[in-house]
Amino acid sequence: MSLYDKIFKPVTYTLPNGKSVIKKRSRGPVIAIALLAMAILSVKITGFDMALLVKRIDQFFVILGEMFPPDLTYMSKVWQPLFDTIKMSLLGSVIGSVVAIPFAMLASTNIIPNKAVVAVVRLFLSIVRTLPTLVSALIATYIFGLGTLAGTTAIAIFSFAYIAKITYEEIETVDMGPFEAMEAMGATKVRAFITSVIPQVMPTYLSQCLFNFEGNVRYAAILGYVGAGGIGLIFNEKIAWREYPSVGMIIVALFVTVFVIESISRAARKRLV
Amino acid sequence: MIKFENVSKKYPNGFLGLKNVNLSIEQGEFVAIIGLSGAGKSTLIRTINRMHDITDGKLTVDDTDVMSLSGKDLRKFRRKIGMIFQSFNLITRTTVIKNVMTAFVPELPWFRATFGIFTKDEKIKAMECLDKVGILDKAFVRADQLSGGQQQRVALARTLAQNPQIILADEPVAALDPVTARQVMDDFQRINKDMNISILINIHHVDLALKYATRVIGIRAGEIVYDGLASEVTQEVLNDIYQGKLEEE
Repeated sequence: MSLYDKIFKPVTYTLPNGKSVIKKRSRGPVIAIALLAMAILSVKITGFDMALLVKRIDQFFVILGEMFPPDLTYMSKVWQPLFDTIKMSLLGSVIGSVVAIPFAMLASTNIIPNKAVVAVVRLFLSIVRTLPTLVSALIATYIFGLGTLAGTTAIAIFSFAYIAKITYEEIETVDMGPFEAMEAMGATKVRAFITSVIPQVMPTYLSQCLFNFEGNVRYAAILGYVGAGGIGLIFNEKIAWREYPSVGMIIVALFVTVFVIESISRAARKRLV
Repeated sequence: MIKFENVSKKYPNGFLGLKNVNLSIEQGEFVAIIGLSGAGKSTLIRTINRMHDITDGKLTVDDTDVMSLSGKDLRKFRRKIGMIFQSFNLITRTTVIKNVMTAFVPELPWFRATFGIFTKDEKIKAMECLDKVGILDKAFVRADQLSGGQQQRVALARTLAQNPQIILADEPVAALDPVTARQVMDDFQRINKDMNISILINIHHVDLALKYATRVIGIRAGEIVYDGLASEVTQEVLNDIYQGKLEEE
């Protein structure tokens, strides 16, 4: 009996015939108190000030007010970077998602019995995932120079780490029966995996790829801040020059694009699962 | 011919799955293996295609020492041994015919295996196998739409498509109702007789074992306690195999 059960005694239910069942007390309250304590601690550390937030919130609406009405004539200059952004996120997502598959296989404990291989691949994926997209974009601009290639690379790296993680978790929940059957028929591990595991994880995988792509369109918009191409480039520029009506136009264009892509993706994902 | 010579199997945790097993099974026999759960029936069957390793003794199939095989040789060896499972182990998301054609995957060029491209000949061959177990009409139905008995037949067709000499069946009818179970056992019997394929079957239903198999092997705590004709199995033999627990049911 653990310490917790000694302090908070378990409840005993007794049936009329004398048999009894013991139910342990929920651990919920302890977790709730811990979460609350951590929230208070983080308020202290970050210096979050509600009063300042209330006092200065009107500044937010001042900037927002200056953005409207958006400068419609500026739209002609938005198209090119907007398409760059979409191209960057689409290409990056596709490359990342495809490369993720073999790594997801290598990170699945039910496919790879060698614990060392699984641990190394997972560590690698964790490291890649920890790297913020903005940082990988910055590094990519040093390698490939300013432009969309750097953005595409950064998005591919992020997509790779995200999709690989989600996919290996999905692979670990599949029914291993068909895989066993394939191995018993003399198939190699790779072929057994392709034939029996891929069809099982495919709907979730595609759905996650689309979800990832949705998110990447939004990510790609800020990559321009480090010079990695796309709409972020002009966004940064116009904010710096305080041309708020143009900024408003960029936001509207981005909003419509993200909305359209999300709607299509959501409709497609519904059909998948 | 499958030959066990003083075969033992010790699990990594020290549990003895098989104790000094001596057996010899000729081509074309229909053998039922009976015994309590955990007695070692599955272990025995799975050592034959080396899904499980043995730790002592010698196991040969057609004079090939099974434990000496590895990699490519082992996979080639497994091609001639079919396996049937209690839970069918089909890829439920795809069609019946694609499930049957997975039997060809180990021998396809890699790009055809990866993208699941099959020739017309292969499709016809798969349909012939489905016809042999009487479910040709379900060829293009998704496997999860079928009943348990039909799914087990698809598994049987898949095994036939690999053209095996031996079929190992691990509790093939345990998940089926008595009528369907009998139909599947009829399929096994027909395949055994018509195609001279050896069949080794693990089974809990003693009545089915005695009715269909020609030879019965009783296993208790990893040891073979009976090996003889199905027609000579008496109540005492069964009591011995099931440690007297059969009567309590």
